[in-house]
Amino acid sequence: MILRRVLALPSWHGQVRVLAGEAGVDGPLQTVRPALDASGTPGEAELVVLVRPLDADWRVDTLLRRCADAGAAGVLLPGPEPLTASRLLADRLSVPLLTSTADPLELLVDARMLLAAPDLDRATAVLATHRAVGERLLPPEEVVTVLRRLTRVPVAVLDDRGGLLAGELTGAARVRVSEPVPQRVDLDDGGVLLAHPAVLPRPSVWLAAELGERDAPRADVVAATLAVAAGAVQRWLLANRLELERDARSRSALLGDLLRPESEPGADLRRRAADAGWRLGGWHVGLRIGVPAEVDTVARTQEVIRALRAESVDAVAVEHGEGWTGWVTFDQEPTAQRVRTLSARLRAVHRSLRRTLDADLGVGRPHPHPDGLAATVAEATDAARLAATRQETGHFLHVDQLGMAQLLLEWTRTDTFDPAARALLAPLNSAPGDLIRTLAVYLDAESSLAETATVLGVHRNTVAARVARIEQLLDIDLSRPDERLALHLAARAVILARP
Amino acid sequence: MRITAADVPALERGVALLGSGGGGDTVTSAGLLRRLIESGREPVVHAITELAADTLVVPVGLVGATAAFTEKLPGGDEFGTAIAAIERWTGVRGQALMSIEIGGLNGLLAPVIARQQGLACVDADLSGRGLPRLDQFSVAATGRGVAPAALAEPGGQVVVLAAGSDALVERGARAFLASSGGWAAIALAPIPAGELAGHAVTGTVRAALELGTRALAVGESPDRPALAEALGGRVLARGRVLEVSRHVGSSRRGSPGFGRGSVTLADHQDGALLRLEMENEYLLALRDGEPVASTPEVLSVLDHRTGAPVLCDAIRVGAEVDVVCLAAAPFWTDPRRLPMVRPRAYGIDCDPVVSQ
Repeated sequence: MILRRVLALPSWHGQVRVLAGEAGVDGPLQTVRPALDASGTPGEAELVVLVRPLDADWRVDTLLRRCADAGAAGVLLPGPEPLTASRLLADRLSVPLLTSTADPLELLVDARMLLAAPDLDRATAVLATHRAVGERLLPPEEVVTVLRRLTRVPVAVLDDRGGLLAGELTGAARVRVSEPVPQRVDLDDGGVLLAHPAVLPRPSVWLAAELGERDAPRADVVAATLAVAAGAVQRWLLANRLELERDARSRSALLGDLLRPESEPGADLRRRAADAGWRLGGWHVGLRIGVPAEVDTVARTQEVIRALRAESVDAVAVEHGEGWTGWVTFDQEPTAQRVRTLSARLRAVHRSLRRTLDADLGVGRPHPHPDGLAATVAEATDAARLAATRQETGHFLHVDQLGMAQLLLEWTRTDTFDPAARALLAPLNSAPGDLIRTLAVYLDAESSLAETATVLGVHRNTVAARVARIEQLLDIDLSRPDERLALHLAARAVILARP
Repeated sequence: MRITAADVPALERGVALLGSGGGGDTVTSAGLLRRLIESGREPVVHAITELAADTLVVPVGLVGATAAFTEKLPGGDEFGTAIAAIERWTGVRGQALMSIEIGGLNGLLAPVIARQQGLACVDADLSGRGLPRLDQFSVAATGRGVAPAALAEPGGQVVVLAAGSDALVERGARAFLASSGGWAAIALAPIPAGELAGHAVTGTVRAALELGTRALAVGESPDRPALAEALGGRVLARGRVLEVSRHVGSSRRGSPGFGRGSVTLADHQDGALLRLEMENEYLLALRDGEPVASTPEVLSVLDHRTGAPVLCDAIRVGAEVDVVCLAAAPFWTDPRRLPMVRPRAYGIDCDPVVSQ
């Protein structure tokens, strides 16, 4: 045992100051002896705890001297601070000189407990943490508050990218978030950063604590505390998740009912929409955020809503399939200017979402009434699907800008066209080179070999060769407008249907 | 032994060294002595062997706040009044005078008073160094007793403490001093010269003169061995004062205590910390927490450059000083008398450190 470890005890921390002789706090400590005055002879590796102030301050000096001669661990003085002379002497002799205004006997008892049973401190801390966070469901903020109180060090909850969710921590960036195992990082200033992951549910969050130099010897205790508290955070996340899921399912169902092509929603449906805070009257502008299938939409709904709020877009957003469906409601038919403003804001929302999400955003045109809601949402959905293939528009499309493309898209969505298109282009599938994409780009580029080569990133001669092979495989002449139109539509339909 | 103008600086330095940081500033009494010599009346100090055994010697001196003596000068005949009072009380006439305390201003005062009173001055005193209390006089240590004692203060009041224990005489004198001018002339009952060898510290004026002469001869900023040899003592430390702490001392026997304090300096030689515990005098020296010297040895702090002793109430942080330790008078190292002047006599619970 060393004195530094005793100094990190909860009852000692903040109550006992190392006035001088700091160089000696890493020396061995075997016994803690109470003393009424300075007359006794200190033992080796012994900490002398004076239970009452000395009658004369020069006695501090003689005691320090005897401690140095005996190899004692240090002196703890209650009451008034000793003179500078004693501090200088403690530094010179490297005998730790501690002062405290707390009851010296209580300090002594705690130090002796630690010496007798070093694990007791950890066990006590774990039990206290368990009592504080074990029974009830606590949000991360409260877990942080409880831990700060128990450990007296800065504690924080971090997300899976190391961002702060609750609490404060200067060294949060030092947590290696890619390795979901308990971590201990030694800091440059002698302190220690501890982190414990709560692995379920995905994405994992972290409970981290930063210990200063004084607390560092107690890192094992704090680590055990974090492990207990990480369980509490995990429970809260799971319970929260359960609620989110239940909520999401009911909203998805409501949305599905609203979008069903019926003439007029019934009284029950109106009631459910009102309960959810959705307005069915007025003019609606639909929006659709499409994301890859692996994105956990339920977990990230809050993120989407935050992004919308950040741009002052008062929109409903509901997890729906692979993405979110939503809309903005206006009291009156929105002017072109208002629609443009909304579009610009949604563009900003989209940009902020794309920092963390591979999202495509489609926006519909304004339509009135509940049936108009379904219409604008359908437009937005089409726009989002199209946006997925339109890198050039930044994966953002507003139906106002769609024009002909939208019309074509509607045609290709019919049940008869899709199989026909596949059949038409089937010969190209087995040939080397992405001939279907080459064909689509070639026709998009108004049959320009050079433009097609640029878009695909290949040499124009390659494009020429591919076009020749397409004509040969399909037995078709691309200079004829009718055939070109049919192939263009078919190629677009097949590409959109791709996963 | 005739004291000439040339002897004054050496005698002054000698008594200041023996003051151990106390005994009062010697400037005023040295001025009085110099003035006397300039007027052609050089005082003569007689060794006790030069006197008949039945010569009655009156111990005289100044007690109380020595700083007040510098500010509130003698009105004229306080010493004559005190001597007259003790003569009247005891019914015998003094034929010679001696100092109550060689350390500090009293060491210079006795020859002056003797010359003024037309009496002989004896080379002896009741302290052998600087001592703060009446009940520490050698006559108290030998059992002869301090009472009766006559005090005359510059305002004209005269008090005779006729009887009582030494401690009571001390308390009575302090109470009188506190209610009067701060200082007073004191005269004790005459002692036959033949008894002085047993009841006083003898030869101290000559010793102070010799000590002062050697101290002055060593010059400014002497090296440590030279200083130690000149003073016949030890140099405990040489360095800069880091801390001076003063506080009101604990009271003893119901009377308010003298101011207490400590001085700490770092030795230039090895960085060791030397701490002096002081009251009116420097009483205990700790070197790195270990007691290395204590009263009754004489602890003096000297200005490093000039070698002039620095009084306890004049020591300041930042001063460059030498701390020296001079051997105790053999009178005090006698085990029967040591308790009167050991650190515990000053409330410092530490065994005396007396070097051989």
